[in-house]
Amino acid sequence: MANFNIDADKNLTYDAIVIGSGISGGWAAKELCEAGLKTLVLERGRIVEHVVDYPTMTLDPWEHELRGGLTPEQKAKHPKGGRSGFIGAFNEHFHANDLENPYTEVKPFMWVRAHQMGGRSLLWGKQTYRWSDLDFEANAKDGHGVDWPIRYKDIEPWYTHVEKFAGISGEALGLPQLPDSHFLPPMELNCVEKHVKERIEKDFKGRNMIIGRVAHLTEPLNGRGKCQFRNRCDRGCPYGAYFSSNAVTLPAANATGNLTIRPFSIVQSVVYDEQKGKASGVRIIDAETSEEIVYKAKIIFVNASTLSTTQILLNSTSSRFPNGLGNDSGELGHNLMDHTYRVGAMGTVEGFEDQYYKGRRPNGIYIPRYVNLKDGPQSDKFVRGFGFQGGGGRSGWGAGSNQEAFGGDFKDGLMKPGPWEFFITGFSECLPYHENQVYLNKDVLDKWGQPTLSIDAEWKANELALNDQARQDAKEMLERAGLKDVMEFDNKHEMGYGIHEMGTARMGRDPKTSVLNGNNQVHGCENVFVTDGACMTSSSCVNPSLTYMALTARAANHAVSELKKLNL
Amino acid sequence: MNRRDALKKSALALGAAAGAPTLLGLLQSCAQQDRLTWTPRFLGEDHARFLSSFVDFLLPKTETPGGLDVKADIFIDLMYAKTYDEAGQKQVVDQIEKFNADCKEKYGKVFAELSAQDKAACFKEHEANSPKFPKKVWGGDVGPREPVGFYRGLKSTVLWAYFSSEEIGKNVLSYDPIPGEYRGCMPLSEVGNTWSL
Repeated sequence: MANFNIDADKNLTYDAIVIGSGISGGWAAKELCEAGLKTLVLERGRIVEHVVDYPTMTLDPWEHELRGGLTPEQKAKHPKGGRSGFIGAFNEHFHANDLENPYTEVKPFMWVRAHQMGGRSLLWGKQTYRWSDLDFEANAKDGHGVDWPIRYKDIEPWYTHVEKFAGISGEALGLPQLPDSHFLPPMELNCVEKHVKERIEKDFKGRNMIIGRVAHLTEPLNGRGKCQFRNRCDRGCPYGAYFSSNAVTLPAANATGNLTIRPFSIVQSVVYDEQKGKASGVRIIDAETSEEIVYKAKIIFVNASTLSTTQILLNSTSSRFPNGLGNDSGELGHNLMDHTYRVGAMGTVEGFEDQYYKGRRPNGIYIPRYVNLKDGPQSDKFVRGFGFQGGGGRSGWGAGSNQEAFGGDFKDGLMKPGPWEFFITGFSECLPYHENQVYLNKDVLDKWGQPTLSIDAEWKANELALNDQARQDAKEMLERAGLKDVMEFDNKHEMGYGIHEMGTARMGRDPKTSVLNGNNQVHGCENVFVTDGACMTSSSCVNPSLTYMALTARAANHAVSELKKLNL
Repeated sequence: MNRRDALKKSALALGAAAGAPTLLGLLQSCAQQDRLTWTPRFLGEDHARFLSSFVDFLLPKTETPGGLDVKADIFIDLMYAKTYDEAGQKQVVDQIEKFNADCKEKYGKVFAELSAQDKAACFKEHEANSPKFPKKVWGGDVGPREPVGFYRGLKSTVLWAYFSSEEIGKNVLSYDPIPGEYRGCMPLSEVGNTWSL
């Protein structure tokens, strides 16, 4: 891949600026560059070139001195994100330093951040599902939050657009609540997963268990290789088999010759021009030199990730917008959502002791939502619904820790795979509550002297009722499927663990109650677009990243069309 | 001659036929009764002797390498040195001392100097009294976690040190760094041992 142009400081004026280079920022850059716009991408962290900057991508455990262990100095940098349990020596360099980037938990909230080119697109779970009108109509139907300004038909062509380029593997089922994508061949279920699927689908009418739909190539696409089933995705993939900005969208943007990416750019604010009544540019602080620079552009895409995007907007004050850019409604910072995490059941499966599998599949099973559908069982305990992820496999030597045994036979017994285990864990929809919010904290400053965020949000009765049902249903499904030693669990994780932050700058039909319009433009400052998770009006129970991609491509193409009409 | 020594002697006879490296390994493990054959980075010599004897008793050499053969003890000492903060390091030392003090009280000697029978009795008692690890989903605990105590914690660390070693990971378990495909169902007999990665 060609080197990226990082020489932004010779030219301070561009057609477009994109703040952030993660999943949505990468898509904005690609679409705008391909439309011929000279585009500057501002990235808070360092450049991470595909393959070149994946230092751990092929390391076996014994090839690292501490076999993946972290030093106390490394651990000390992640007192917040480390709570996820996902940070180890092979991916630590892709996680933000919590000490340089503090935030305040008014109520407990785990915020995982990735401050480098590609952002969390290097680390994400890659589960990719279309949302449906069950989601886009939900607020209007039950009265929580405000109505989405779009419906499935508005976004459907853009799902198609991004799927064909990103590459999504999965199986078409024709479920109305989980519309099919344009699929590459699905990954395979293993013996036990096939067995459990048959039992669940037979015993529970209207429930399906499918292989996860994922942004992994199962066939080569546009020069990217297919998945080699190493399951070392969070180190960066040498084959470019999973979707990341680094492997997919940013190289495409770069190929146009229109892309400049500026690393180490801490965005301070979007600059509002009071005379022209629109944004004129973006003020940054160079992370290394602390120099302040203002870049100018006709349009600005804010894609810093949900909460960071809102932080920038709140910090972008002017006479016209004294409470933050686009905050006429007072909703900026409010209606924060996430998905609940780690509530479900697990058990063991007998009868497949002579069976095994090959390959480390970076994917599991998915049970689409089945409650409160248009036609089907309705709950009187909660609105909305939940889906399950999960999977099966044979336990390994780690099970030895709990065995009441030691010595030679114990050791040699651990060389063989242990029992088959299977689990499912629910992801429940979170309603938009005005009081679940973030706001600027001027008492706690980051390394560059900028105000930080206070996060004040919690699950409420509806989320807890959904979780209760998910746990009970999980146990019932596994027991009726014949699993042994079924154990239900609910870790009662606080918000943030789902790493699906959504809302805080929602789309809506009415400027009095929303921050963005139906094309993701900031009400009152229409040349600024927000297309990351901040824009979400509701949270569905379905993983959101594919929807960010589609909304971004849609908004970018709207922006280009409006520019051509001289409307922006 | 206790049972453990007898096992060593019979293994020595086999080892002699298998070749010099095995013989050398055995000689080293005999010598360790008196002094350490490796230089700890963190532990004192007595504590290192405890660690080596714990590793050897948990995972002795059989037809497959033992914990000492793959230097699990040396790696764990390195972990103590490089991944534990000062409080954690102090806790390790205190816990080894307590473990040894309990052995002395019950069996008259520190762990490394116990007979194989007494070591087994000691391990059995700890197995019975140590809480277990919770199940995990996606690398995280499910359900509540009570402290497993020093014995089970160290046992888990030794298993990790052993199974993540190059010798076991590459040559004993089934090693396939780049599978290239996912086959959801295949006879275990075609794979043999557990996948190492």
